Amino acid sequence: MEILNHLLQGAIVAFQPVNLLFCFIGVLMGTLVGVLPGLGPTAAIALLLPVSFHIPPVATIIMLSGIYYGAMYGGSTTSILVNMPGEAASVITCLDGYQMAKQGRAGPALGIAAFGSFIAGTLGIFGIVLLAPPMAKFALAFGPPEYFSMMLMGIVIIIYMSSGSILKDFMTAIFGLLLGTIGMDTIAGTQRLTFGVLELADGIGFIPAVMGLFGISEILMNVERIVTTTLVTEKVKNLMPTLQDWKDSIKPILRGSGLGFLIGVLPGPAPVIATYASYAMEKKLSKTPERFGTGFIAGVAGPESANNAASSGAMIPLFTLGIPANSVIAVLLGAFMIHGLQPGPMFITKYPEIFWGTIVSMYLGNAMLLVLNLPLIPLWVKVLKIPYSILFPLILIFCLIGVYSLNFSQVEIGLMTAFGVLGYVMRKFKFEMAPLILALVLGPMMESNLRLALLLSQGDASVFLTQPISAVFIGISALLVVSNMIPAIRKRRSKFKEKLGEDDV
Amino acid sequence: MKRNDLIGGFFFLGVGIFFAVYSRSVDIGTMEEPGPGFLPLWAGILLALLSAALLGKTFFKKFEQGEPFFPEGDSWKRVSMVVASLIAYNLLLKPLGFILVTFLFVAFLVRFIFPQTWLRTAVTAALSTVGAQFVFVTLLEIQFPKGLLGF
Repeated sequence: MEILNHLLQGAIVAFQPVNLLFCFIGVLMGTLVGVLPGLGPTAAIALLLPVSFHIPPVATIIMLSGIYYGAMYGGSTTSILVNMPGEAASVITCLDGYQMAKQGRAGPALGIAAFGSFIAGTLGIFGIVLLAPPMAKFALAFGPPEYFSMMLMGIVIIIYMSSGSILKDFMTAIFGLLLGTIGMDTIAGTQRLTFGVLELADGIGFIPAVMGLFGISEILMNVERIVTTTLVTEKVKNLMPTLQDWKDSIKPILRGSGLGFLIGVLPGPAPVIATYASYAMEKKLSKTPERFGTGFIAGVAGPESANNAASSGAMIPLFTLGIPANSVIAVLLGAFMIHGLQPGPMFITKYPEIFWGTIVSMYLGNAMLLVLNLPLIPLWVKVLKIPYSILFPLILIFCLIGVYSLNFSQVEIGLMTAFGVLGYVMRKFKFEMAPLILALVLGPMMESNLRLALLLSQGDASVFLTQPISAVFIGISALLVVSNMIPAIRKRRSKFKEKLGEDDV
Repeated sequence: MKRNDLIGGFFFLGVGIFFAVYSRSVDIGTMEEPGPGFLPLWAGILLALLSAALLGKTFFKKFEQGEPFFPEGDSWKRVSMVVASLIAYNLLLKPLGFILVTFLFVAFLVRFIFPQTWLRTAVTAALSTVGAQFVFVTLLEIQFPKGLLGF
């Protein structure tokens, strides 16, 4: 009964006209960036951070989450019609989706992707409703040592999952930590490492850094070469899957939802991993594995459901622990902080209207995506025909204006440009972005928890190992680092990573 | 890639040492009561150590021919032109004013990065300037520099 009350409270928030509007804008923008190759959800959320200053916190969170799960819908369209993933989580959809399109079955492929995503999104929301409150209760017992160890574990898991060398990833993570220390000290309020630049007193702005590292650097990568998109078909008809299609797809959709959700709760680039895991599982369970890769609808239905469920699952650690599971969520966490909200165990009880409002809005957003997306497919086909040569100047101008509008500071435009170049060179040199951004977001929290823990234990660093929960987190982190030094496991990991590619997740 | 890791290693070695040295200008504190310089000092040292490890590991590796920095012969031109135009936007924002500099920025990129016809250039630049003016100035009421020409 309590849950029903909460959901009712959430519905009241989500159905307010302004929140409905921003939910709509969010899912629409999300689908758009999902459809456009070369612009992922991380960059898109980063680009919209400046705008979120001008709208209320609930609407911001609703809109930005909408971009995240909306992108999962949009990505499939490009995979199916162009054989090029609109974003990283739709790579696998190309395999069977594009084949279906070539056989003139683009309609049912797009249809099942949308229906599967909707079913997965719905199940995922139930999962959040059931899991999030108990998880938050468990985390209430956490003190500074537990928090520090948990954040450490979060960063280590991201490093373990990302596609680069572990040593280099640790370096970028520490670099992120160091960048986070510039500016005001969180405990004593001392100015440090500002090098006499007045604008650095509040720290390196999170927004210019993220917009540079993800937005600008991505565009620099893209202007290196000319990419042309060729559509397999312009006329898409018969979006409704047939009865046989449903028979082939319903089980993959359900299994994909469950699997995706579980993977989503764990830290890492969940939506991407979930699609690979679901595809592999369906192929193994299927009576006709040879049909996969030839335009079999189950190969679209499973992964497309899994990535959507994973994006809902990833909301749980964010809301209950304040720990972002991947870089998209890290940027989303940045948006919380801009509005002075600190997600964590207390969040659900302290701001029930934001938590339950967002959950209900996710359900509404999923419904909007289903109703809107299928009729809008002709529009997305038109969008795909806009050449990148015209698109990227518009994205750049949006970045410039957005970052300037924050503080009317030209120093921040300069910072964004500098981070853009830095991010570009780092990508080229195979230094990963995800550990950096996670450490940059978590840095200030990690620092204050480390210092508080040491203060409370009177300088005894063993407190991180004598507290049982903290010890478990440290143990898991150590295990991951050590296990990578064992050659057999290392080989498997790099094989797995090869499959994932170096996509920005 | 040997060259990349060497450059990256030296860069982060420098960054680590830089932070470790600079953190000493504020209170580092003690183990019992860590001060504002505590984390920058130790993280800086750790970064320097890891970078040294990367350098050491890379140094003994055989040289291998990896992929070049730029995938195509003229990639560097496009990348540096985009960076230059971002810097130019920042420098010219005050003297030229928001409207003019936005128009010129978009026009330059559309015309010269992946060259488009002048007609397409003019239309894209004009539409995006009007759009930016409408969304950011009219709707969101953000004040931009007017420039020496007064608009």
